[in-house]
Amino acid sequence: MAETSAQATQTAPRAGRKKGLWQRSRRHAWGYLFVSPWILLYLVFGLYPLLLSFYLTFFTYSFVRPEDYVFVGIGNWIRGLQDPLLWKSLFNIFYNQGIFIVLKNALGLLFAVLLYKATYFGRLFRTIYFMPVVVSIVVLMTIGEFMASPTGPLQTMAVRYGLSGGPVFWKFSPWLPMPVIALINTWKWFGVSMVILLAGLYSIDTQLYEAAAIDGASGWLQFRHITVPQLRPQFFFLLVVDLIFGLQMFTEVFTIGFDVFGGTNNQALTPVLYLYAQAFDRSNVGYASTLGLLLAVIIALLTMLQFKVFPREAR
Amino acid sequence: MLPSKRVTGSTVLIYALLILGGIVVFYPFFYMLMNSVKTGPEILHAPTSLPRQITFSGYEGVFGRLNMLWLYRNSLILAVSITLLNTFLSAMAAYAVAKIPFPGKDFLFGFMLATMMIPAVLFLIPTYVMIYRLGWVGKFHALIIPSAVTVYSIFLIRQFMVAVPDEIIEAARLDGANDVQLFLRVMLPLSRPVLATVAILTFIGSWNDFLGPLLYLNRPETWTVQLGLYQFKTSIPGENAQQIWAATTLITLPLILVYFFLQDQFTRAFANVSLK
Repeated sequence: MAETSAQATQTAPRAGRKKGLWQRSRRHAWGYLFVSPWILLYLVFGLYPLLLSFYLTFFTYSFVRPEDYVFVGIGNWIRGLQDPLLWKSLFNIFYNQGIFIVLKNALGLLFAVLLYKATYFGRLFRTIYFMPVVVSIVVLMTIGEFMASPTGPLQTMAVRYGLSGGPVFWKFSPWLPMPVIALINTWKWFGVSMVILLAGLYSIDTQLYEAAAIDGASGWLQFRHITVPQLRPQFFFLLVVDLIFGLQMFTEVFTIGFDVFGGTNNQALTPVLYLYAQAFDRSNVGYASTLGLLLAVIIALLTMLQFKVFPREAR
Repeated sequence: MLPSKRVTGSTVLIYALLILGGIVVFYPFFYMLMNSVKTGPEILHAPTSLPRQITFSGYEGVFGRLNMLWLYRNSLILAVSITLLNTFLSAMAAYAVAKIPFPGKDFLFGFMLATMMIPAVLFLIPTYVMIYRLGWVGKFHALIIPSAVTVYSIFLIRQFMVAVPDEIIEAARLDGANDVQLFLRVMLPLSRPVLATVAILTFIGSWNDFLGPLLYLNRPETWTVQLGLYQFKTSIPGENAQQIWAATTLITLPLILVYFFLQDQFTRAFANVSLK
């Protein structure tokens, strides 16, 4: 470090210290210089919008007539808490994520275990399972929409084999859009859970299994008492990330063909879709900003709750 | 006790489930490919059967109505510039936070981590208002500049760089290397695995982004493949369904080919995000 060169010039201590100090501050300058792009961008695209979002919640603001700035105090907040569409959208997203998060991680675990046990063709199967992860949501929702449509292959086969009485127009149903989207999303994302849990499986010490086998523990008992507890850090990570991203769902409902209010009965309205509708359909920018803040607070609280619920050693 | 027989039984079950899963995951892509070479009425009335005869009218229709190459060009401009900028600038910041001593470093890194806790939805409206006032709506840099360096990339690269032994850096410094040379000639080459991870995640994120282009790239000449596909889908009448499927296939296949060649890097990138 800078000290080594200072020691080399010890015969002239004052000059040496000066040089060390100069070298050190030059290093400091490099440090600041290297992080300066981030600091600059964060001030402009992080801090400023953050403050602006608080500011906007106290006003009505419209893109159409930007000169009409009206101060409304906490009016947007009161409106938000009383807005039945906001609560509907929150209900929808929890309904959707409840199904999605369980299915995605259960299937991720199942296929991680299968790949762990499979001696041959593991890479081939992993390649296939992971394929939907890299394909865009727009493409997958387009495929999923037609696969599940009344004239699509799934319903046609269900009718042909007597599993379904007739065409189901799920998009217009009050209860079906959210589970259908959760299924399509499971198809897209279970591969991520799978590779993360598979990496976790390979990190488990095989001696644990050997010891359990000597004690006579069956495969199921080993799975229940060794595999699952050992994978807790991975599950914790997955659940935290799933919830943060899942509650902000927009593209799925928008591109699968619902209007900005999520259909005639708001059956597919998600909070971010509602925020988009308020901002860009109704031009209620102040209110939309309030919705963004409200949702951010809900997500932050739930994330903190997850950190509370999971024991510290399991993260 | 017949251990070998039991092993065979469970092996059969494992492979049966693996094959079943493979069929379920792959079938939708097969369905997409088949529909792209069927006729419109056949897509509607015979969804489960193979095409009776292969037709490329869907592809011809797409190229007549949608400038596919232009969409690709726009998506590539965005994804490549965001990936290069983000990987390089994030690596720079990561190097400083990992290996250069400077006052306030711990505070700065703690602050970076804290900013990751704020959900992105909060920034949606104010950022749009800001970019709208700047007059950037409709321009590529509205999407490129805010993504030029991100905390998540810095964090991933920093975790890797911290593990590089200090002796390597000291040796290079004794040879007279300054921080710029150290960064470019020592740290960047050493960090190649994590840089690949960050580059892949950034590229996929930008290539597959829909909301960003929807908000900021509203003119057809700036559409990306994702936005173009969506607009195309909503403008096509049902009897021309084969065109939707041809367009979907055309924007999916190149990415899947890239994935097949780089699949180990892709899966590793996603597996690495959970390593703390």
